[in-house]
Amino acid sequence: MPQIGFRRTGVRPGGTMPLGGAVACLAALAAFLCQALPGSAHSTDSGIEGDPALGAYLSSECVACHQASGVQVAGIPAIVGWPRDQFVAVMQSYRDGHRDNPVMHNVASRLTDEEIAALAVHFGNLKPTGQ
Amino acid sequence: MRIHRRDFVLGASATIGLTTLAAPAVLGQGKPRVVVIGGGPGGATAAKYIARDSQGAIDVTLVEPSRSYTTCFHSNLYLGGYRSYESITHGYDKLAAHGVKLVHAAAAAIDREKKQVALADGTRLGYDRAIVAPGIDLKYDSVPGWGRDHEKTMPHAWKPGEQTSLLKARLDAVPDGGVIVVIAPPNPYRCPPGPYERVSMMAHALKQSGRTKCKIFVIDPKDSFSKQGLFQQGWERHYPGMVEWLGPKTHDGLKSVDPASGTVKTGFESYERCALVNVIPAQMAGQIARDAGLANETGFCPVKPESMQSANDANLYVLGDATIAGDMPKSSFAANSQAKVAALMIRGELQNARTFPARYNNTCWSLIETDDAVKVGGRYEAKDGKIAAVETFVSKTDETPETRRQTQAENMGWYAGIVTDVFG
Repeated sequence: MPQIGFRRTGVRPGGTMPLGGAVACLAALAAFLCQALPGSAHSTDSGIEGDPALGAYLSSECVACHQASGVQVAGIPAIVGWPRDQFVAVMQSYRDGHRDNPVMHNVASRLTDEEIAALAVHFGNLKPTGQ
Repeated sequence: MRIHRRDFVLGASATIGLTTLAAPAVLGQGKPRVVVIGGGPGGATAAKYIARDSQGAIDVTLVEPSRSYTTCFHSNLYLGGYRSYESITHGYDKLAAHGVKLVHAAAAAIDREKKQVALADGTRLGYDRAIVAPGIDLKYDSVPGWGRDHEKTMPHAWKPGEQTSLLKARLDAVPDGGVIVVIAPPNPYRCPPGPYERVSMMAHALKQSGRTKCKIFVIDPKDSFSKQGLFQQGWERHYPGMVEWLGPKTHDGLKSVDPASGTVKTGFESYERCALVNVIPAQMAGQIARDAGLANETGFCPVKPESMQSANDANLYVLGDATIAGDMPKSSFAANSQAKVAALMIRGELQNARTFPARYNNTCWSLIETDDAVKVGGRYEAKDGKIAAVETFVSKTDETPETRRQTQAENMGWYAGIVTDVFG
């Protein structure tokens, strides 16, 4: 079973996230995670390799709101170029109800681990291209 | 990260994909052709996705008479003064970059026998599959005393464009103390929360300009409506005394309107010399779909829930507001979602593309007052012969102001996202 890589309590009360240098430069991701994960995020590899074709299909649901170019507008965060394990952790936290945005819970609650992994590969491979 | 290949298990509803892998209908017969009728959120999305994802292997033509599309969604925000008309108007030019051929003409008819779409000028476009996404037509005979000749006097503004501007101009001209009547439509209709978001935006515009003695009466043929508790709470909170909603039990039926004198008569009341009457009539699928025999007695088009294929013709797919989409509402989000399913299934049929079981999604955001937005939504799947809601959600009346503000931020971000997805 994939491990849920997300802890709610007891870590880094200051809100600093152990995300690593590569992630630190992703301001949009950092801002999003800071907002959504008041404690801390420990992500782990789910051990599933995502299926790119499945990810491409499933992603069509996401891009009704999240722009594939990586452009962030108002209350819809950019989701391209994220490290896969972070993407998996965020989606699992919506699916499991640790985060309570009803739109995202609604989307994530029907996703299997394989589907989340597929989405993580798809969006992880996209590079921000928008202005 | 550990890497090991694991084939995706399609699961119980995999038969759609496996079936389409077996025998593409027109492989080996030259480049397959798809004609899309209608350049709204359903049609434009489908055209883009098929052209883009087939990478030139499928010939995609989008037939749409207009050169630009003004969205119904967020047109209420234009009415409320939150958006410009330009910001809700989008061109089709970027679709060409994905390989979509644009034909700016009106589609007049579908010849199902010959598999051709006839244009108004007589040109015929052959197809292997056609997508029918004409949106709605208004039932001009559904409100006694009102008809097509009166839509300038008592605008509907339920189709985007000129009517939207007209309604705003008329709202701007309402004097303080003026009476506005909004006649709400019966189910089913485009954008279930739309009339009530419109009322909210009218009230906002009046309040902003100091016209708080105005009164908006909503004459509704329905006993209840989408997000009712949220809207009514919002009206009391933000626009006290300005909005009165009347269901059939409290107005005893809409009897007639008189556009010349600005009168609306119900069983119980007569509203005379109204400063503005907004008639939102009953609706049905666009004419070309009905003429082609794709609609049933309801006036809308039944579809196969696993694909959006017409229930009446395997070569035709119907999208968006023209369809009977089970539990899905008639919304741009829904049309966009349905378009992606149809696009994939059509590529499966014509291009042998790998397909996956249909999944649908919808969220409708509504703005009640500045930084006070609510939402309703759900996810849907083909189940028991229809598109069935699997899980739904709706905003709560006791949400914090911060949640409502965030919901409006989502609303604005969604708009930017979906118009990029549809037209970008």
